Amino acid sequence: MTTTDDGILLTFPKGLLGFPQLTTFRLFEPRDGYPLKFLQSVESPEIAFTCLDPAGIQEDYAVPLGDEDAEALGLEVPEDALILTLVVIPEDPRRMTTNLAGPLVVNVKTRVGFQIALNAEKYPLRFPILPQD
Amino acid sequence: MLVITRKPDQSIVIGGEVEVIVLGITKEGVRLGIKAPRSVQVHRREVFEAIAAENKAATEARTPVQDAAALLRAAQVRKPRVR
Repeated sequence: MTTTDDGILLTFPKGLLGFPQLTTFRLFEPRDGYPLKFLQSVESPEIAFTCLDPAGIQEDYAVPLGDEDAEALGLEVPEDALILTLVVIPEDPRRMTTNLAGPLVVNVKTRVGFQIALNAEKYPLRFPILPQD
Repeated sequence: MLVITRKPDQSIVIGGEVEVIVLGITKEGVRLGIKAPRSVQVHRREVFEAIAAENKAATEARTPVQDAAALLRAAQVRKPRVR
């Protein structure tokens, strides 16, 4: 996948949890190792999610994708899966968190994705990205 | 909505492969057992609600995103384990 200024067009047929009406997004991946990415709704461009590649913050984070999910996404090999987790930036940005319980999984070949729900006891909903004092 | 009365040890079957069994009834609530294929994810509804709330929060940065990005770039990245 290459990024252009228009971003990469992705389809989430079921929308995101809480946003079922948003099914088409542009993924912006700034260059030069910028640590955050942005997912902007095409239907409602005022809505954009901050996200990141969780591999950068948690190297053993693996999404246990069910057979049904993999099939629905048409995923043939794990390498075709792009995983993104959404980032919440509070007033004190040192306390920013990412949601490991609700990752987005995208088939990079078809550019179709789903948000999946994982066991929130095992995969924190608010995983601190920065070391906490 | 289907409304149905079940007693302990009775069950309902959904879609031929998911079975929900009433294990017991206490003052605190109804205890359910769910038999489903591994491919079917079973979650408490609250999990979906919590993720939806985090999704909403992810659209509303409370501080400039550039500041967050600068902190991230500067930080010694943490590598703890989930499991």
